[in-house]
Amino acid sequence: MNASLQLTDVSRTHKGAPTPVLGGFDLHVAAGDAVAILGPSGSGKTTVLRLVAGLDAPDTGDIRIDGASVLTRPPEQRGIAMLAQRPRLFPHMSVLDNVAFGPRMTGASRREARRQAEQYLDLVQLPGLGRRQPSTLSGGQQQRVALARALAANPAVLLLDEPFSALDPSLRADMHQLLLELRALLQPTIVLVTHDHQEAVLLADTIAILIDGQVHQQGTARQIYDQPASITVSRFLGCLNEIPGEVVSGCHVSALGQIPVPQAGPNGPATLVIRQEAVRLVEQASTAATVIGRVERIVPLGARSLVEVATSVGPLFAEASSGQDFRTGDTVGIVLPTEQCVLLPNQVSVSALSDTARPVRTSTSGSSRRSSTFSAGSNTEC
Amino acid sequence: MSARTTVGRAGALGSQVSLGVWFVLPLIPILLWATARSWTFPRTLPEEWGFAGAADALADGAASAFVSSLILGLVTAALATPAGAMAAYALAFGRIRHHRRISLLLLAPVFVPPFVIVMGANVALLRLHVPPSVGLALVLMVTAIPYTTFIMRSAFASYDTRIEEDARTLGASPGHVLLHIRIPMLSRAITASAFLAFLVGWSDYVITLLIGGGAFVTVPIRVAAAASGTGNEALVAALSVAAAAPPLLLLLTLNMMSRHRTSSPRETAEPSAFTPSSPVIGARI
Repeated sequence: MNASLQLTDVSRTHKGAPTPVLGGFDLHVAAGDAVAILGPSGSGKTTVLRLVAGLDAPDTGDIRIDGASVLTRPPEQRGIAMLAQRPRLFPHMSVLDNVAFGPRMTGASRREARRQAEQYLDLVQLPGLGRRQPSTLSGGQQQRVALARALAANPAVLLLDEPFSALDPSLRADMHQLLLELRALLQPTIVLVTHDHQEAVLLADTIAILIDGQVHQQGTARQIYDQPASITVSRFLGCLNEIPGEVVSGCHVSALGQIPVPQAGPNGPATLVIRQEAVRLVEQASTAATVIGRVERIVPLGARSLVEVATSVGPLFAEASSGQDFRTGDTVGIVLPTEQCVLLPNQVSVSALSDTARPVRTSTSGSSRRSSTFSAGSNTEC
Repeated sequence: MSARTTVGRAGALGSQVSLGVWFVLPLIPILLWATARSWTFPRTLPEEWGFAGAADALADGAASAFVSSLILGLVTAALATPAGAMAAYALAFGRIRHHRRISLLLLAPVFVPPFVIVMGANVALLRLHVPPSVGLALVLMVTAIPYTTFIMRSAFASYDTRIEEDARTLGASPGHVLLHIRIPMLSRAITASAFLAFLVGWSDYVITLLIGGGAFVTVPIRVAAAASGTGNEALVAALSVAAAAPPLLLLLTLNMMSRHRTSSPRETAEPSAFTPSSPVIGARI
């Protein structure tokens, strides 16, 4: 069973709080889709789930499941199930009775509920553990049981509140794979709340970026990474390079010179952003290099490294592969592929910076650019 | 094992033995008297053994007193346990204003001498024409509520209400949550709370005497009357055993059930056999 979910203009202010935790929140999830709500701590992610579940009530707005408003329905009549960060299994029941709880509450006989529970335990790859007590299971097993318990309730909408964040990376990867398999099999409607970008990209069809209680952007992972709607979203997604400037006749004009940017938009102030993964480091003598700089810092990221390069226009960041051997103090050339540059209006939400890497913006002054017009990767003339 | 650890363990064992002797020692003469047919000074042990004391106690109405005490204990437990649980829930989760003051008010029966409470309550109940049986139950409930509230509040302090929210989202109504989640999860505290409330009703003397107005002759009243009047040591001892045995047996039973619950095997041998994990209050769904 799955159903669509629609939240329209939902707002919620907690008692005593000076500002609303959610304001004018809109979200649509088609039946069978998985949407990830991605946002920093305190952005209102869990509040969204609690409102959908009926554990909290919105001050304004409407919540519809399969087109019908559920505002007046108690949690047990909304057809939802929620999986939280902690499994919170019922400690006084066996594993099987935990999973059978949902079917029992909806009127199934004990025998039938347990029969269904065994099937769901098989689905989460825990066959034969039904007679165990929850306290005898590992953390990963408990979370699998909690997932089976939620699915056994046959919810129209499955709410996942950072369900795997308490697990170690290996277990988390296993759970991700399991959830993908269960999605393919059962096709439940899923709303996943997380602050883990990779988890959102992996598990969800679309991602809603929630900052300051409002959805700043909703789209596929490719859309929000390639074309963030604002500097706030860009920063939240971890983009480190921002170059303030101005759009003039389809080009971004800054201390780096004129950079032809696809879909530059109307003339006026704009910030050019480019992800550090897109920035290339080359020999300083390379003609492709637009800016010359000195390697200030190298931060290992596992297989890759984050290289901070000091330029006369300020620091720029690039990710280098393991084959590139840079040392602190080296002079390097920096290439900014124009097709991956994005222009954004100069507006920032302060709270978006609290949980993410704060980018270092380049200075607008300085003149160490290699050329006055960028041409790397593009023949566009400004 | 270090010398300090050995000394520490020996000290702990010594303390436990001393404490055990301290509790058991007063019971030995009572048990001896209860089973003595004849015991004269200066003999260390009775010359003749028998149950004359028990026979005298039965002839003196010990059986009906036993039943009265049992009813009083059960009624007190039945009233004070849910009342204490509700009060503790409200206090623990801040559902009421001025909860500190109300906590103090609920604990007042412990601070104030019982005789003062009884005299005040007696006058009020008489003026309100409350029947003695109802008045007795109410006053005993008030006396037991501090204990039940205290125990349940401690239990609620470590109780995560989010587990109830999980149950709600899985389809459980508030009634189902109470029956299948809250009561089973708090069963130990509820049992301890009920046990203490039972003890308050079972062992009460002053309230039963004054509020009951002589209509309720319980075991403590029989013991007090026999001890102050007859000079029949065997009778007093037999009544004392009758007063002490039920709570002790109840305590031992609950303790054994608790141990069974914590040491029960994690897996049952028979796949279809679903043993509730809480034998006190079943956890079957």
